[in-house]
Amino acid sequence: MVTIFGLTISEIMNIMVKEGVSIPLIQPLIDFLLKIPIIQYVVALILWKPVFAVLILPGLGGLMISLLFIIWFERKLTARIQWRMGPLEVSRPIAGLMQPMADGMRYLFQEVIVHRGAHKPYFVQLPILAFIPILLPIVFIPAGSIYGINSPYSLIITVALLALIPVTIIAIGWASNSKFAYIGSVREAFMYFAYEIPFMIMVLGMIIIYGTADMATIVEKQGIWGAFLNPFAFLGILITTAMATSRLPFEIAEADQEIAFGPFVEYSGILFGLVMTLAYEKMYIMGLIVSVLFLGGGGGPAIPLLGDLSPAIWLFIKALAVMMVMAFLRSIYPRYRLDQALRIGWNSLISLSLLSLVVAVIVRFMGGV
Amino acid sequence: MDEHIEFLKSGPLSLVKRWGAKWSLWPVHLVTACCGVELAHAYACGYDGERLGSLNYGICRQTNLIIVEGAITRKMAKVLRITWEQMPDPKFVIVMGACGLNGGLFWNGYHMVKPSDVVPVDYFIPGCPPTPEALLRGIRALQDKIMTGETNSTAKFSKADLSSIIEIPEEIKQKRVPTPPHSIAKAPVIQIDGQREIEWDEGANLIQTLKKDLEGLYISIEMTDLNRICLKTTPEKTPEIAERLKFTFDHVKSVNVVDVPNENKFIIEYVVSSYGVKDLMPVLLSIITEIPRDNPRHPSLAKHWPSADYMEREMHEFFGVWFEDNPWMGRNFLLSPDTPEYPLRKDFKLPRETYVLRGDSR
Ligand code: SF4
Repeated sequence: MVTIFGLTISEIMNIMVKEGVSIPLIQPLIDFLLKIPIIQYVVALILWKPVFAVLILPGLGGLMISLLFIIWFERKLTARIQWRMGPLEVSRPIAGLMQPMADGMRYLFQEVIVHRGAHKPYFVQLPILAFIPILLPIVFIPAGSIYGINSPYSLIITVALLALIPVTIIAIGWASNSKFAYIGSVREAFMYFAYEIPFMIMVLGMIIIYGTADMATIVEKQGIWGAFLNPFAFLGILITTAMATSRLPFEIAEADQEIAFGPFVEYSGILFGLVMTLAYEKMYIMGLIVSVLFLGGGGGPAIPLLGDLSPAIWLFIKALAVMMVMAFLRSIYPRYRLDQALRIGWNSLISLSLLSLVVAVIVRFMGGV
Repeated sequence: MDEHIEFLKSGPLSLVKRWGAKWSLWPVHLVTACCGVELAHAYACGYDGERLGSLNYGICRQTNLIIVEGAITRKMAKVLRITWEQMPDPKFVIVMGACGLNGGLFWNGYHMVKPSDVVPVDYFIPGCPPTPEALLRGIRALQDKIMTGETNSTAKFSKADLSSIIEIPEEIKQKRVPTPPHSIAKAPVIQIDGQREIEWDEGANLIQTLKKDLEGLYISIEMTDLNRICLKTTPEKTPEIAERLKFTFDHVKSVNVVDVPNENKFIIEYVVSSYGVKDLMPVLLSIITEIPRDNPRHPSLAKHWPSADYMEREMHEFFGVWFEDNPWMGRNFLLSPDTPEYPLRKDFKLPRETYVLRGDSR
């Protein structure tokens, strides 16, 4: 008898099926698949809630869909604002939605140039390493009953992991060994401190309001959305999201007109595809956090047909909405200078975050949630 | 079929590769001449090149298309090649404009290079400048080339036999192509100090003062037009004149050289004027000297008038005049180092280019 951690395979199957995602809409199909010998293990594994959370929603699958959608949406929106059509001809019936796919395919099959000055091992492995702090937070973000790890510290761990991303970007700039990359890395480092401290303070304020750092509990407690409980923190975190994901008023580290994409200037081919999407992936994670903290997370009218999937879909839609606001910022704002952005970070944002902390304490003493 | 197309057509994933490359042709910003305006037009609202999935991008490492916009000079040719080398394979080149084809306006110029000598070109777009529609048509044609692997002309010309309609005289038939001027007129009249009677009292006073100040340093001082004064002198006296004038006439507006080969001389002209003295602001004073053509040396006035420095260096590379004491003599300033020497001298000759008109216009 084969055993894993002291459990037989049929016992593991039982656990996975019991904790599986139940979707009434496709339940007959799942039941049918669960009777086929080998496939049943695969299906049960994918539908097991922790794996489902990481692989499908809100995990990798959601990440990929939101990436393809938001890049298309951003280009299309910018084009519409400038009275253009935007990407269209690649797939006319669906308004050019395949454009990011085409760009991705082109990147995939283009030569990857590793230039002579680069620190080769780091130059190649850092874009891939940068995915670790991006993918790990997903494990902790709950979508209703679908989550990877349930921990009382999940919010703190997520924020801490997010704070690691700029470090990889700075390392990318260092490994590129080019002057634009160097300038870009330094700018990234400056910006990092300007937004990270207010961000942390505002997250702390929200923890005070809810009295816990467990995201599942935070979502449960939100009878009134956090955005109404503490509007200052909501506004502040939206601004820090724009700064952290280098959206346009604060797109300073990657300013393509000045320093030619800063840290990413030397990347080509699929490696550039990876580093270019870093900001968008970070935006997705930040969008998830914003929706959990302020927009009621997976809460929303339950759709009975979708069962367990319904909160996950609500969460995904809310995160997409936050991303779309960020994309909108990009097409209407010009860019701040570095010193102006730093002044905003260290003056206005810090004041705003302290104000939100005060509001949080007041809300807490008036009875909390 | 070139190697890039070959790469795209090979392997089991060929269709995906070609599809990706076809709908994602990102041109790198390399605006070399006036055709760039049309490129901007083609990508702005109205024509919107982004419809075709083609996005102008700033950095060569992440693009796969160069649109050469018009004239490529010797200096720019190096930049073009470097940019092309930095781009990842597979990459494509489109050349737009008559200048990129065969020189266009600047045909047979000393500074021109054909882009096709520098990089492998996929498509040429003729016109001066080509319309935005033509540019987008070029991109369409390149997309087709990526899919099918064949270069097809998008324009079809049918041959017309004009000789049956109009009788072409024999002598016109022989010189179909206009030739560049290749002889020098025997005695062109070059006069730069033509004196005129002008009602300009301050000018007359100014000339009196100048004559008093520059006693013994000039050959003649004449009024040539309203606010124009011409001072003739010899080269070795110019530094002393500059020394005396530099506080009233405080800057050099331009330095000119006139080549007079049949009299074997260069005429050097410094046009000076004033920013500091209000009455002198509209006045242009030309200091004119003549130097022998076979030993063209002239004292540099950059010490007295720093603004003369750049112009002296420019005149040096165009005419080969040696401005003594200017530390930059002997090397090129704006021209590429491999430009043939002294292109603006009247006897400068390039190997003549000829257009070959072929019978078959396809
Ligand atoms: S072809 Fe005409 S428009 Fe284009 S670069 Fe030459 S002169 Fe300018």
